[in-house]
Amino acid sequence: MPSDIFACFFFFRHGILSPQHFEPGAFTVLADYGYVGILLVAAILFTILLLLIPLTLSLLGVVPRKSNPVKTSTYECGLETIGKTWVQFNFRYYLFAILFVALDVLTIFLYPWAVNLRGLGLFGFIAMVAFFIILLVGYVYAWRKGALEWK
Amino acid sequence: MNLTSLGLMPVGLMHYLILSAVLFAIGLYGVLAKRNAVVILMCIEIMLNAVNIALIAFSRYVVPVQLTGQIFALFVMVVAAAEAAVGIAIIMAIYRSHQSVDVDKLDLMKW
Amino acid sequence: MILKELQLLTPELSLLVFALLVIMLDLFIKQKKVLVVVSIAGILVSAGFTLSLWGIHATDILYAMLSVDQYALLFKLIFLVAAGLVILASQDYISKFAQFQSEYYALVLISALGMMLMAAAQDLIAVYVSLELSSISLYVLASFLKDQKSTEAGLKYLLLGAVSSAVLLYGMALVFGLTGHTCMPCIADSLKGMPISNIMQSPALLMGLILIVAGFGFKIASVPFQMWVPDVYEGAPTPVTAYLSVASKAAGFAVILRVLFVVFGATAWLSQDWGLLIAVLSAITMMVGNVVALSQSNIKRMFGYSSIAQAGYLMVGLAAVGMAAGSDALGRSGLLFFLMSYTFTNLGAFIAIIAISNKLNSDQIEDYTGMSKRAPLLAIALTLCLVSLTGLPPTAGLIAKIYIFNGAVNHGLLWLVIIAVINSVISAFYYFRIVKVMWMGAPASEEKVPSTWALRVALSLCCLFVLLLGVLPAGFMGIAQAAVKIFTGS
Repeated sequence: MPSDIFACFFFFRHGILSPQHFEPGAFTVLADYGYVGILLVAAILFTILLLLIPLTLSLLGVVPRKSNPVKTSTYECGLETIGKTWVQFNFRYYLFAILFVALDVLTIFLYPWAVNLRGLGLFGFIAMVAFFIILLVGYVYAWRKGALEWK
Repeated sequence: MNLTSLGLMPVGLMHYLILSAVLFAIGLYGVLAKRNAVVILMCIEIMLNAVNIALIAFSRYVVPVQLTGQIFALFVMVVAAAEAAVGIAIIMAIYRSHQSVDVDKLDLMKW
Repeated sequence: MILKELQLLTPELSLLVFALLVIMLDLFIKQKKVLVVVSIAGILVSAGFTLSLWGIHATDILYAMLSVDQYALLFKLIFLVAAGLVILASQDYISKFAQFQSEYYALVLISALGMMLMAAAQDLIAVYVSLELSSISLYVLASFLKDQKSTEAGLKYLLLGAVSSAVLLYGMALVFGLTGHTCMPCIADSLKGMPISNIMQSPALLMGLILIVAGFGFKIASVPFQMWVPDVYEGAPTPVTAYLSVASKAAGFAVILRVLFVVFGATAWLSQDWGLLIAVLSAITMMVGNVVALSQSNIKRMFGYSSIAQAGYLMVGLAAVGMAAGSDALGRSGLLFFLMSYTFTNLGAFIAIIAISNKLNSDQIEDYTGMSKRAPLLAIALTLCLVSLTGLPPTAGLIAKIYIFNGAVNHGLLWLVIIAVINSVISAFYYFRIVKVMWMGAPASEEKVPSTWALRVALSLCCLFVLLLGVLPAGFMGIAQAAVKIFTGS
């Protein structure tokens, strides 16, 4: 969006987004977040304005109002839904879900570790290898017990 | 530019702590008032996330250079995920044996 | 430096390796008996490493997350002994979940690992993570039978446990926020530096203290966080109940004593504050546990209330530590001695119950009639343990109570000791009801109660130690005093 780029440029010019705001000291006063509020207000006003335009036009009689069954249906195009909307997922997904929840969160530890790998040295590397061996045991366990198969 | 003149309050540590306390209270209310075991589990997650907000806010404002609180929050998240996984598995077992996940119906044992 | 740290971690590392080994072996071998041997071997190896470290100068390892000192080592031994005895005693019970043997052993070992880390934890992060490691394994163990009662027990334990750990965490977050540290000695230093008026004006710190006490109160089953105990004890598989009642409680006390003493014991007035709080909670805990236990008909449920009452006695020792404000070691060593005695006594009682209930297929006390004729040895062992739980000579229970009450009287808690003694008398009623039923009643059938050799070994070890601690307490007291030496410096 060209306008967004322009906005960023504008904020930089006037020092509103200057790098000093990202330094730890500057956060003692988080007033900078106030600008988010200004943008929010602007966004809301703009939305309301856009909503008002068709309303005024229809009040003035510019917009024709002729309704028919096709026009008032939920979906003007596409197919009607068949069956209940509240489908239940097959419970067999739950094993995968549990495995996913348990294993994917563990990647959290990889980010701080990767950022500071040099600082942690050999000990950090060995610790992560041990961590992955434990994970691997869990994975092999799930595999051998048939938790990864669709029964 | 002066923000207070625009009627905007600077966001401070207190705001985060109030948010965290409110979230914690909402979670606790849910735990006490809800009857569906899955919903109770979700409320517990809300409580843990409330703690995370407090931890990260404290970390930012009290010890901005060290990241103790943020690391603590990472551990809380991982443990919470493990707890949720075990919780869901136990709820599945409950559903198989009781045909319900309503905690009010779990009254085989009392007094 | 790395090797030195790894050497200090050998008890935990070896236990972890053996737990993983149990899981892997199960996947690739048919003969399941091997798993028991491997688990017991793991516990022996880990206990061997723990003993080899005994006498060590207190050292901080892993960036001061853990502290390897005699206090932690003694607790590690207690957990390992409890886990080993429970695994041996499970042999009579294992047929009920024969399909999931390796998971059972691995979970027992992993929760023991969590408790060992808890005893050594010196940082709030380490406390939390290790506490959850042991708790989550115990949640699964509690619902291991997958029948109605067991799953119900598991869910109740999980939900209440998770709420209590959230409460504990909130307390930790407040303490961290107000002091800026998570490592316990650092928090203590920063509290010492604060002027008293400053602490009094910030109720958040006291709030943090109360929330932390509440979180650990769940773990040790003190009133008002005891609601889960009877239900979980009744519903969980009996060996797991035994494990819960002993190891989990000991772990709770290990960490609560360290946190309260190291963090909040540094300033005398704060120490007396929580001392009084614990004293009041202790009085209520004893009363509730003992009075409700009187009316129970299910033996596991009765032992649940009995373990609440025992937590009350233990808290008398904790209160004495608080009131002493760091000046003496009798309350602390008494607490450790009581925990040792309670471990062997309660485990012994539960092991006998496992054998008998397994045969009877019932946990009702009236079904125990005439057990002295059907299983004389089991009945004698159970009687000995009940005598010890009541606190009568010549058993460990009496000596433990004397030590702990003595410490409390020395620090102006005479009123609490009077309540505790009255409670001991009340407890005699329900403990001796079982003895009476077993020895006076006529047996319902003449059939003998069978037991495996593993269970017999475990039971005789328990009884041996109950008598040893009762007759020759001095040696064990010396160990307990050596263990709490680390606290006298601060």
